[in-house]
Amino acid sequence: MRNLLWLQGGACSGNTLSLLNASDPDVFEFFSQHNIKLLWHPSLSLDSIGVKRIMEDIINGKIRLNIFVFEGSVILGPNNSGTFNMFAGKPMKDWVKYLAPLSEYIIAVGDCASFGGIPAADPNPTQSTGLQFFKKEIGGFLGKNFRTKSGLPIINISGCPAHPDWILTTISLISEGKMTEDMLDEFNRPKIFYSTTTQFGCPRQPYFTYKISSKELGHKEGCLYFDLGCRGAYTKSPCNSILWNNQSSKTRVGTPCMGCTEFDFPTFNFFHTEKNRSGIPKRLPLGMSRGTYVTFSAVAKGSAPQFLVRPLIKKKGDWIE
Amino acid sequence: MNEKIISPLNRVEGDLDLKVVFRGNKVIEAYPMSRLFRGIEIILKNKYPMDSLVITPRICGICGGSHLMSAVEALDMAYKAEVPPNAVLLRNIMALAEMGQNDVRHTYLMFMIDTVNKKYEKMDFYKDMVTRWAPFYGTSYKAAVKWSKRYTEIYAIFGGQWPHGSSMVPGGVTADPYPNDILKARGIINEITSEFIEKVMLGGPLDQFLQLKSVKDLDQWSQDYPNGDISKLWIYGREMKWDKIGKGSNFLMSFGHVPSAEDYTTENPKLRFKRGILNLDTMEFSSIDQANMLEFVTKSFYSYSNGDIGLHPFEGETNPLSPFSNDKYTFTKTFRYKLNGKLIAPEVGALSMMAVDNNPLIIDLLNKLGSNVLLREIARFVRLAIISEIIIEELEKFRFGEPTYKKPLDIAESKGYGLVEASRGSLGHWIVIKDNKIFNYQVVTPTQINMGPEDSYGNISHMSKALIGTIVEDIENPIELAHIVRSHDACMVCNVHVLDGNVEKMVLRL
Ligand code: SF4
Repeated sequence: MRNLLWLQGGACSGNTLSLLNASDPDVFEFFSQHNIKLLWHPSLSLDSIGVKRIMEDIINGKIRLNIFVFEGSVILGPNNSGTFNMFAGKPMKDWVKYLAPLSEYIIAVGDCASFGGIPAADPNPTQSTGLQFFKKEIGGFLGKNFRTKSGLPIINISGCPAHPDWILTTISLISEGKMTEDMLDEFNRPKIFYSTTTQFGCPRQPYFTYKISSKELGHKEGCLYFDLGCRGAYTKSPCNSILWNNQSSKTRVGTPCMGCTEFDFPTFNFFHTEKNRSGIPKRLPLGMSRGTYVTFSAVAKGSAPQFLVRPLIKKKGDWIE
Repeated sequence: MNEKIISPLNRVEGDLDLKVVFRGNKVIEAYPMSRLFRGIEIILKNKYPMDSLVITPRICGICGGSHLMSAVEALDMAYKAEVPPNAVLLRNIMALAEMGQNDVRHTYLMFMIDTVNKKYEKMDFYKDMVTRWAPFYGTSYKAAVKWSKRYTEIYAIFGGQWPHGSSMVPGGVTADPYPNDILKARGIINEITSEFIEKVMLGGPLDQFLQLKSVKDLDQWSQDYPNGDISKLWIYGREMKWDKIGKGSNFLMSFGHVPSAEDYTTENPKLRFKRGILNLDTMEFSSIDQANMLEFVTKSFYSYSNGDIGLHPFEGETNPLSPFSNDKYTFTKTFRYKLNGKLIAPEVGALSMMAVDNNPLIIDLLNKLGSNVLLREIARFVRLAIISEIIIEELEKFRFGEPTYKKPLDIAESKGYGLVEASRGSLGHWIVIKDNKIFNYQVVTPTQINMGPEDSYGNISHMSKALIGTIVEDIENPIELAHIVRSHDACMVCNVHVLDGNVEKMVLRL
């Protein structure tokens, strides 16, 4: 039996609700199959015993904390008091500080817990940070060298929210004792989910390859990178291979990828591609140099299959280029 | 006197504490307290107007789609966007799918599980309640876990993902669905209706349920279809005296919902669910003008630059204070509506939405029982039944090949607001744009409307009214208070605290 405690800091509950969308298995089946005891969860517990008692019992050694899941940013403000986020009589940050060293594994679920996310966005009015990263910088609330009792750093499952499959698979790897440090990327995210970009599996990928842009929202065809702000070419996420709600993804419904699995989310000016003076997007696809991009674009554009440059299903307007 | 602080009051989305003062077993003062501040309105300043479509859904993980709909309506107004009928239909379908998800999760995962509380152990129907509604094991609970997520699939078909899709944009939606998408969404809603709504929630046919018009009809339904959860709730709920607690404000308010696709406008939209206020004392309806809305921060951890006055959201300010203060106690602002020259503190939520829409069953129930915990839950069932129908109607109206988006013109300076019904009540967004950037953004959430603190005239808000006067059977197990708060589906991320006195301080989990 492994004990799991789930707390929320500067959170919107989006990761909790995302978790409830898990299917095959659903979250409760999963917990019973994996012999996980939910010590407490803010939305799901009946709380016959108080969470405060549970947390105190962990702190004084009566309860073992195997998996500590944290959702939301760690709020330090105002003036490092943490009192913008009070929980069970204390600033949440203090509970985290006491519980973290006693945890065998810690999962930061969502972009806020991983990197600070939305609350940490400029001007960061609450002094929010992630558990072990502040945006790109390692450190965060717990510090660069912090290790849980298992020896692993905080495992980040970034995303706003994280997909339930990413969360449950990570918990299963932990509870089966299969999670090792070399399974994590440079931001301590499980590589199985964060090695490919959002483009993998995006149905608009052929349009990306041949530099065919969708000029306006509301269409199924054309790539959203060149004009409409899609961050899928430089965001690591499996959103187009592990679909959302078993159905779809942002780019499939014509919404540009917002880059919500990355440390710099939210980058703002969404729905718009910032370009330099020669009209080239400021942010290039991951791992591509400006020179290569220019050469490659010219070739690609010239060799675009004719059937892709106009709407495939007849529809009025000239929204594709 | 005995003071209790119930902290955290869980199973609300976010952080709510409730401070109540008892005299004997009776609540004489009540203060809902929000202990979390995230500063979203501050973050939105100076960003691009469209960024609100990505940032504001993250205010709340359970009703992000409602925030998106409010935000997009505010932008439609600011940009004077024309929105093609297809787009309005898809927005409506998404908004209602999110509401369906929320109504099911609220009812079973947040509210009904309290029926296993030890207070009810001696009731002869206790075993039946546990079999149905116990967390993790109850038959209806399990069905709710399974079926609530299917609503999110409908959302994702058009919104890409739930939570936190951003597929509504001024001028329409980003999606361009094909007939197979419509077919699939219809398949899912039909399956939810036949396998969950009819079998588990209602216990009988939906179209017949929608005909119920009076308390008498509901009694008859409970006899004809005794196995539906609504029948059990209606019978057990009165035995447990849920119809006697949680009255509160006698003004029920709804911003109205589901704009007509054929003639969409933002200023004075034709709405499927009416917008207005119902005075329960007189049963009189009034229309709503957003210009009459005000926010106060007398007891909230904020300051206004011109002192303690009510500000309309277009002029609203968000200047947080450190939460140490003798006379302030919450991060929730106070919402007031000026009705015929008087400031009122209305109730919002499913009950208000159904009442303002003049739903005959709800009106008859209100006439006979007044507003209370039981009716709020009944209203959730009624609403869920109605929205299933509307989702199907809207899907049928979709015209493949017609546009789902029309690009609006850029406007560098403008204003707009969007008023919608989120699952837990009325929600409004106000945006002021200058130099193509957000100059001011203010959000009024349902939880704030219900659970704000006193205004500067000392008038208390709906939730405090609903709690004060409640007799709690066992102060160590104040489940009655939990029912009252939870019947509003309190949502503290959008914004809430219980207990006071000087004899004894204790921290209680409900
Ligand atoms: S840039 Fe975006 S829309 Fe284009 S292929 Fe990549 S993920 Fe798809």
